[in-house]
Amino acid sequence: MNGSHRARPDRATAAATAAALLMALALAMIFFYVPTDVSEGYSQRIFYFHVPIALTTYFLFTWGAVNGARFLLKRDMSLDLKSYVPMHLGVIFGSLTLVTGSIWANIAWGTWWFWGDTQLTTFLIIFLFNCAYFMLRFSIEPGERRATFSAVYAVLGVGLIPLSVIGVHVAQTNDLIHPITFNENGANMDGSMFLTFLVALAAMISLSVTMYLIELRGKRIDDRLRAIRRLAGGEA
Amino acid sequence: MRAYRALLRKDLLLELRGRELVPAMVVFVVGALVLVRLGLGGERLAGGTRAATGLLWVVVVFTSMLALVRSFAQEREHGIWDGLLSAPADRSAIWAARASATFLFLGVTQAVALPLFWLFFLQDGRSPSLAVLAAALALADLGVAMLGALLAGLVSNVRAREVLLPVLFLPFALPLVSVAVRMTVDSIPPQNGGLGALHGLGFLALYDTIFALLGWALFEYVVED
Amino acid sequence: MSSPESAPAVRCDGLTRRYGERVALDAVSLTVARGERLLLTGGNGAGKTTLLRVLATVLRPHAGEVAIDGHVLPRDARKVRPAIGYVGHEPLVYPALTARENLELYAALYGVGRERIDQVLDLAGLNGRGADPAGELSRGLRQRLGLARAMLHSPSLLLLDEPTTGLDEDGRERLRGVLAAHRGAAVIATHEPDWFAGLEHGRLRLAAGRAA
Repeated sequence: MNGSHRARPDRATAAATAAALLMALALAMIFFYVPTDVSEGYSQRIFYFHVPIALTTYFLFTWGAVNGARFLLKRDMSLDLKSYVPMHLGVIFGSLTLVTGSIWANIAWGTWWFWGDTQLTTFLIIFLFNCAYFMLRFSIEPGERRATFSAVYAVLGVGLIPLSVIGVHVAQTNDLIHPITFNENGANMDGSMFLTFLVALAAMISLSVTMYLIELRGKRIDDRLRAIRRLAGGEA
Repeated sequence: MRAYRALLRKDLLLELRGRELVPAMVVFVVGALVLVRLGLGGERLAGGTRAATGLLWVVVVFTSMLALVRSFAQEREHGIWDGLLSAPADRSAIWAARASATFLFLGVTQAVALPLFWLFFLQDGRSPSLAVLAAALALADLGVAMLGALLAGLVSNVRAREVLLPVLFLPFALPLVSVAVRMTVDSIPPQNGGLGALHGLGFLALYDTIFALLGWALFEYVVED
Repeated sequence: MSSPESAPAVRCDGLTRRYGERVALDAVSLTVARGERLLLTGGNGAGKTTLLRVLATVLRPHAGEVAIDGHVLPRDARKVRPAIGYVGHEPLVYPALTARENLELYAALYGVGRERIDQVLDLAGLNGRGADPAGELSRGLRQRLGLARAMLHSPSLLLLDEPTTGLDEDGRERLRGVLAAHRGAAVIATHEPDWFAGLEHGRLRLAAGRAA
């Protein structure tokens, strides 16, 4: 635990630098490089925020679940933290997804929400799962039990993602409303749009990684402070 | 296998003797249906049979919550977990037995609810195919029972479990209910080439398989302390 | 690492177990040789029940090492369970099931033949009460049923949590008989250690989770 003290600050700084650069590049591309969409106009650019943020949210949940599974196998408490933090970030990115999605929906379709849309509904299901994860975590005292139960629920969530995607699609096969971004022929966008999308996606993911490293470090410091306080205060 | 049979027998005997769960579930289902029927006054349900079918599925999910919350109550109240957990039998057998028992209880409840549902809401001559509905209910009940048994084990030792269990279960119920409703509604004549029953059943089977595997694998972690 | 044949029945090295932030067992070390009976004494909340539950593989150690017959917990918990007979604070029986039905369940869980059921009912002095729901038995008889349950599979290690509680004279005599006849090791938590005179080989007092 003490060995890599020097390595950790470097990783967070490196990630932050990468994220800052990518974000700057993405913003520049979104506002100055990519051509205006023919059908939806200038405001369509919010797509370059919304979809990468949404994909990053799914990525975060999967990451949380993977670390949860690793915790169950190894019982290493640091893995509990590494599972919790992505789930926590998932709330943030998830909320942003819903907000940007809502704005986009209002601009494009004139409503704030549309139940017939499969991807919105799918995302809402996953978001509710995330909120339930936190309710679970808040109901249990910190310790191994909380870590175990959180990990189990996070792993269940990974089962939920494909089921949610398939299920909602099966239930509501009118997803022509949600602009089809990717179909069987690959990306449904021309070259410059696809490039901008990729840069934006990379920016969002590196932003999430940066936030992960920072939050992880903060929580570790918290834990150590608590341990020190406990020792200093003496055993009750 | 012997352990599973013995545990299932125990769950069924306890229910037969205690009569706690199934009567409560039946009363709840009947009450819910009556409440909606009265709440509508003399009106037809707007949306007719389609809306009613959706309603049935909502009631099914809430009824299952009732059953699941009381899972493992005996083990908890009489400290019997220590006896089960110190035994050499596979802990997943506990899960499998509880899931099986819950599946049976749900089936019994729905056998009572369906005629009532038909009586209250489907008198306008058109109704979903009984075969499709029964198949959908069976597969959905299985999925609910299996995932529910896992989650019930998880909240068994957590405070506020009555509130927490529905919250934890709800996100998983949503894809299930969406598909089940769509499938059932599309079986109402005249069928207009909507979702084939096979697609819906296929999804439900996938759902059940995934949670069978996850339930089997994860229950050990949920009860181990 | 000692081979299983020569390993002590129970060995704890620095066993620690927490409940949230509270430490229930604090670096407890003890050894119980084969065939020995150890008494655990100490006030309420000292950690006796927690220690027994860890040995019964119901709770996992948070730190330190626990080995039963040379098998390290929690890794080898499955190997150890067939050899453990645990009697907890509660008799661990379903009140709505009859005594016999409870024993049938545990016989299935332990993979034991049904003829053992009659044998343990006899051992506990419960013949004739087999068809009574466990909830209708008196506290003392339920306690005996708990003991019968623990003996079904002829365990080599007995873990008893205050086994004399609620027992009448007859029950106590039976308990003494079972302990005397039992060849394996035993760890017994008790508030009346003197009653075990002649049966005990050693004592360990716990206070606030530590060996005193």
